[in-house]
Amino acid sequence: MSVVGSVVGFMIQTLAVSSIYILVAIGLSITLGTLKFVNFAHAAMYLAGVYIGLGIALELQFSGDIARSIGLGNVGLDLGFLAALAIIPIITFGLGLLMERFVARPFYDRPDTDQILVTFGILLIVQELIRAFVGGRSLTFSRPAWAEGAISLGPLGTYASWRLAIIGITSVLVLAVYLYIEYTDVGLAVRAGTEDTEMVNLLGVRATRPFLVIFGVGSGLAGAAGVVGGPVFSVVPEVGVGVLVPAFLVVVVGGVGSIVGSVVGGLLIGAVEVGLVMNAPTWSSVGIYALAAVVLLVRPAGLMGAVEVDE
Amino acid sequence: MLLETKGLTKRFGELTAVDEVNLQIQEGDSLSVIGPNGAGKSTTVNLITGLLNPTEGKVLYRGEDITGQEPHEIVQQGLSKSFQTASIFPDLTVERNAVVASLGAEHGSFSLNFLRRLGNYDDVLERAEQTMRDMGLYEQRHVEAKSLPYGDKRRLEMALALASDPDLLFLDEPTAGMSPDETDDTVDLIERIKEERGVTIVLIEHDMEIIFRVSDRIAVLNRGAKIADGTPDEIQGDPDVQEAYLGGVEI
Amino acid sequence: MSEQTEAATPGESADASGLLDRWDGLRERESFSIAGAIAFVVVFPMIFTNLPAYNGYMSLVELIYIWAIFAIGFDLLLGYTGLLSFGHAVFWGGSAYAAGLFSANVSGEPLLIVLVAMVTAIVLALIIGILSLRRGGIYFAILTLAFGQMMYFIALGPLGGITGGEDGFTGVTVDPLLGALELGTGFAGVLGTLLHDIGYVLFAGFFVLAVAAAVRIVRSPYGAIFQAIAENEQRVRFLGLNVWRYKLAAFVISGAFAGVAGGLHTIHAQYVAVGSLFWITSGDIVIITVLGGIGSIFGPVTGTIAFLYVENIVSGEIAFWLLVLGALFVTVVWLFPAGIWGIVTGIRSTVREQLLGDDS
Ligand SMILES: Nc1ncnc2c1ncn2[C@@H]1O[C@H](COP(=O)(O)OP(=O)(O)O)[C@@H](O)[C@H]1O
Ligand SMILES: [Mg+2]
Repeated sequence: MSVVGSVVGFMIQTLAVSSIYILVAIGLSITLGTLKFVNFAHAAMYLAGVYIGLGIALELQFSGDIARSIGLGNVGLDLGFLAALAIIPIITFGLGLLMERFVARPFYDRPDTDQILVTFGILLIVQELIRAFVGGRSLTFSRPAWAEGAISLGPLGTYASWRLAIIGITSVLVLAVYLYIEYTDVGLAVRAGTEDTEMVNLLGVRATRPFLVIFGVGSGLAGAAGVVGGPVFSVVPEVGVGVLVPAFLVVVVGGVGSIVGSVVGGLLIGAVEVGLVMNAPTWSSVGIYALAAVVLLVRPAGLMGAVEVDE
Repeated sequence: MLLETKGLTKRFGELTAVDEVNLQIQEGDSLSVIGPNGAGKSTTVNLITGLLNPTEGKVLYRGEDITGQEPHEIVQQGLSKSFQTASIFPDLTVERNAVVASLGAEHGSFSLNFLRRLGNYDDVLERAEQTMRDMGLYEQRHVEAKSLPYGDKRRLEMALALASDPDLLFLDEPTAGMSPDETDDTVDLIERIKEERGVTIVLIEHDMEIIFRVSDRIAVLNRGAKIADGTPDEIQGDPDVQEAYLGGVEI
Repeated sequence: MSEQTEAATPGESADASGLLDRWDGLRERESFSIAGAIAFVVVFPMIFTNLPAYNGYMSLVELIYIWAIFAIGFDLLLGYTGLLSFGHAVFWGGSAYAAGLFSANVSGEPLLIVLVAMVTAIVLALIIGILSLRRGGIYFAILTLAFGQMMYFIALGPLGGITGGEDGFTGVTVDPLLGALELGTGFAGVLGTLLHDIGYVLFAGFFVLAVAAAVRIVRSPYGAIFQAIAENEQRVRFLGLNVWRYKLAAFVISGAFAGVAGGLHTIHAQYVAVGSLFWITSGDIVIITVLGGIGSIFGPVTGTIAFLYVENIVSGEIAFWLLVLGALFVTVVWLFPAGIWGIVTGIRSTVREQLLGDDS
């Protein structure tokens, strides 16, 4: 393979891995930036994306203990991958609104640790609900047939269409959210909040519509990440945390509250991971933490974060 | 010179909250900083006490550059700050509040032992008791700080700031939200602190009466910049100040 | 002065009040806590092993002491200092591996194993603490979680050759205590009824030591400063105290407790599972401590008993016990932040008020 080919190959793999982390990270980053809310339950949106998405695209087998004892069988709409990708963000957007209203909002005025604990508890409940109904074993989320093959990019080489599809879908979603936040009133709250929570508090917008929507948008992206990530990562109840941790690292590396930061952080994390998988596989899961540690030491606020950290 | 700021500047994004402010404070020469809301008074204090880092400029304390030091380092050198909203330990008793404060004063340099009983640190306990007596809080030492009346909370706040025996004390609107009686008591207290402890005070205040009672000099801020600086009499007559701050109202 | 933190109740009322005051004075004493812990390890097995569905094995009682040490240390961080770590599995698991490796390669002396485990945890806590405290409070949970997971992956991947990877570490060899006392040697007579065997004395002994150490730390200047940091960090900073260093101290102290517990667990289980480093272990200690009730010594102990009882005994009856536990956890966080122990003390003070009439 030519040098150009292997560079492009590396980039495409990186982009594909980064995509999922970026989709999950954006929601974490904007709620952290605007509301100073650490949301472990964000991973529940990813789980919803994976499991409900599987039920929409193909079929979901209920083989957990509770499901068996009440005789719940398989539920599948068999609508295909694209349908799931279209429907899931809407569902998780709605779930995000519910989460803001009924979980986050009662905790805005309570200590940070309570917020973290309650969202962790909710994640735990969702995870165990999945285990009780669907079961704990690993399921298969097949790729759609149209993405099975490979596409030739001329002299640049030939690449799995699936990876290109992930990159395409993510780019569209991230760009849409970016434009939304840059150019709308809701976005204004995000931008203002990230620069100065005190001012946002003064404006009294904390409990109002922008924040509802922020939760919704972040959750929608995390749901989409679940659909995209389903065929890539394993489909088990613990995968929620499995994706949440790298997404947190993306936020730490990229800087809080900035979509550009999430993208940059995600790309870096993805590049480190892919680079290690190719060259030093035993270290592949470790490198991203080392990267985060280095960034913390050199630039505590993250690469794109405001330099001053006053919490 | 006790404290000096040189070209102190703080920008938040587009906004210049503090704009090249030069202040000079002599030992024993208490200063009041006045100016309309949003003029940058609190930000200036935060820059000096290390809560914020200046975008530009320097802070010199006794001739030494302390710009960008951590708050605890600055406090250890003899500066202290009383917060605009009573910043106390609400769930701890008044006594515990005072004890923690005197731990800071006696052992800020981390010489404490985590396996030694607090009851064996006599110096700390004595200082705590002294502070409570000085501030008239001794009778309430077993009360949880959160159940103190508002005025007492502010007094406790000041007690915390004084526990470290500072040479220079910043008071950010110490009488805000107080009843006239409480205000009177507080001003008496400030005067007492000045006299008995020889603390130099930097006061941020709106009430002209208080300012004239307590301060030897006044600095006026407007939109981040210092527009006047002088004795109360000089400031009273300054047309710029009348224009910018007092809107022509007689004082 | 610090001995009289209880609010003074007017002494003019009935005898009951005077008695209670004396009782309170006694309770405030440090030796009282230690005596209580000793009485506890004597009495507890008799009660616990007779609980419904319990099949009577002592091993679980010992496991409770080990986890309780972990939880007490965790509460020094969460309950007293207000710092929520989601990476404490590192200290538990990391020290457990160190203990296992040490026992296999250097010495099987239980006390040395525990010492090595504790030192390992302290070193790990220093490194991770320095990194995780680089950013403000809310990032602490995220960063500790992340660095905790890093250690898990290190044990699985690069260090797999030493740790046994997925299979865990199986080479643990534990020698008799002080070279002479087999851990399995039982006592005869009354001593046998009360203290069972050498192993029990080892685990229960460390539990009592942990309680004593925790009580002492809470009553030291550090305890006062930790609590102040939890309440109002910025104020502590403006009292001239270096908050960062005290937080690091709390983290390291808490790590040391976890290290002792991890070392004891290696001795107890004669095996180290890689899951001991997984985030679920960190989650377990969070749940235990919060369920039991933060900000006291008894809360975490209560939480440990409840959690291990459910995990080991009720789980046989209810397959989805984790779901129930999760729901219980959220309920406690939401409605009873003081935890089970907080509910108990709440009832106790209500009863007291009833006893004393309405003088308050
Ligand atoms: N952390 C901050 N971020 C952004 N703007 C700030 C911040 N703190 C203060 N400001 C702004 O700086 C200006 C000066 O504020 P401040 O120093 O509090 O004024 P004062 O105390 O004189 O009323 C105000 O316009 C205020 O909104
Ligand atoms: Mg102000």
